[in-house]
Amino acid sequence: MKKIVFYILILSAVISSAQNKQILYDFAELPQTLLLNPASETNYKFHFGVPLLSGFSLNMGSSGIVLTDVFAIDNININDKISTMLHTLSSRDFMMFNNQIEVLNGGFRSNDKTYISFGFYEEIDAIGYYPKDLLTLLNEGNNAYLNKNFSVSQINYKLDVLGALHVGVSRKVNDQLTIGGRFKIYSSSLNIESSNNTGTFTTVLGTDNIYKHYLSNVNMNAKTSGLVKNDEYVDDPSAYLKNTFLSGNLGMGVDVGFTFHINPQLEVSASILDVGFISYSKNVKNTTAKGDFVFEGIEFQYDADSPKNYWGQIDEDFREQLPTDENDQSYISWRPAKFNAALKYSFGERRSKVCYDNTYKDFYTDALGVQLYSVFRPLSPQLALTGFYQKSITNKIHTKFTYTIDDFSYANIGAGLSAQLGKLNLYGMIDNILEYRNLSSANSLSLQLGINVIFN
Amino acid sequence: MKAPIKLSILVCFFVITSCYESLDFNQIDDYVSKPEITSALTYFAVKPAQFYDSNGNQKYNITDVTNFYGLQNTYIHDNLVKINVNAEIINQFDREVTLQVDFLSSNNTVVYSFTPIIVEKGNLNYTYLEEIDLASQPLILNTSKIRISASIENTGVPLNVNDTSQFVFKSSVTLFIEASI
Repeated sequence: MKKIVFYILILSAVISSAQNKQILYDFAELPQTLLLNPASETNYKFHFGVPLLSGFSLNMGSSGIVLTDVFAIDNININDKISTMLHTLSSRDFMMFNNQIEVLNGGFRSNDKTYISFGFYEEIDAIGYYPKDLLTLLNEGNNAYLNKNFSVSQINYKLDVLGALHVGVSRKVNDQLTIGGRFKIYSSSLNIESSNNTGTFTTVLGTDNIYKHYLSNVNMNAKTSGLVKNDEYVDDPSAYLKNTFLSGNLGMGVDVGFTFHINPQLEVSASILDVGFISYSKNVKNTTAKGDFVFEGIEFQYDADSPKNYWGQIDEDFREQLPTDENDQSYISWRPAKFNAALKYSFGERRSKVCYDNTYKDFYTDALGVQLYSVFRPLSPQLALTGFYQKSITNKIHTKFTYTIDDFSYANIGAGLSAQLGKLNLYGMIDNILEYRNLSSANSLSLQLGINVIFN
Repeated sequence: MKAPIKLSILVCFFVITSCYESLDFNQIDDYVSKPEITSALTYFAVKPAQFYDSNGNQKYNITDVTNFYGLQNTYIHDNLVKINVNAEIINQFDREVTLQVDFLSSNNTVVYSFTPIIVEKGNLNYTYLEEIDLASQPLILNTSKIRISASIENTGVPLNVNDTSQFVFKSSVTLFIEASI
């Protein structure tokens, strides 16, 4: 079991990343762009995604380590490699994982200016910051770390398994401006999280004894919902899946966005996604610990007339001064809100394409621009800056190339392709292409792909 | 060839020719974490008056004992390889003091004893290190109690009950753990 946990830790460190979908954002009028900006412009009558195949998204990466750091065949002792790894990582390094699968996706134009889209997707979203002090303590102990404050505030993690039922509206206000919004009902089957912890463990030279240990300002929490039922862990994956469709813990959220044409060639767009929360009340099990405790050892009194239960007294003091508590109180967890913004300059050959109302819309074959992405995470927002080039090879085939700077890499090159074959639309995009030379040493990888049926 | 097509071909090339470096996950079987955990242990400061009973008779030996369950933690019990006990002692008494440290099981059987620690009179900076190798002393894992006895030398002259000099004992323990995954 310990081995499995270790592998999960290492692998999750390697296969995790931010949920940035910089290639998909504002690309080729794909229906899935509406999930990144509800004000994305579309020019078709209606669409539907092929169930379970319309949108598959996987993002993987780690800001600190890669698989080869630990498991490369290099004749270096594994203990040395892990020790080096632990010293290299900082408490701001993190592991993340995001997987989204669209179960249903559809949309239709209700009038000339309004497009309504809806659907349901399943999502697994996880982030864990690297608790450097805790792992140092577990791996090396406190003997070599006199006066060091081992901080428990570095314990920061969150895992959500949820489904989202959503409906959105894109409204063209005028030739320049399109606005949009999306309402979501979340149904979460599993939540595990711990954040906003405080407290330190410190060993110093003592006065009455050689050492003195301080547990100071401890305020820790670990919340779970869906993990434990009737004091037993839920180990049936189907139970988690079942509860993601409106029978889990419910919540709601909104996406809002806009697209604005400054002039025919220059466009600015932005969106805020997943501003919402989930209220957890089912199968909740929370653990807290709060208080301070000082330990300087066991002081012998040598009082034969009144022998003392020293250990019992210390145990009692510890429980009194630093009590741990388990409860089933419901709690609210905020979704990690995301922010997207883009500035796009279109140029090149000017072409026309047929729109839903049999009119023609002009577009440029090329575009250059920049995008900013941010996701609000427990410790701090994670940012990514992307430069992109878009090229429409034909009216039916569109490409996009990106260069992204983020927490994982300063040289993240991505590419996407969207092709319309009759009514069938196929799209695929991959990130961090250079890492494909050696996947074992990749800090992050991501891909999105799907199949839609689009009717003009 | 137009630039996007070239780029697309390049992308396809990278993806199609993607590869990975061989990895050996079995290396983890050789991994051993070796934390060294240090903790304060017992301490005391006794004066000559504590060597007299309630009837005013001088005692030459005083003893105290505490429960100690630190070695019964499953993780420590299963992975402990060595114990170091450090002591710092100040003897302001006008006579030699001998300490006897015993580790006892729950039924008070001695599972490990230090060699008696003899501290000469007036020694204000006595240090002591007891290194216990678990391979040769496995019974120490049954420790549930620690007993420390302090004996004063019989010089023929009684201790001055009003004397404020002290015998001070401080100690710490370092547990050396080697745990594989």
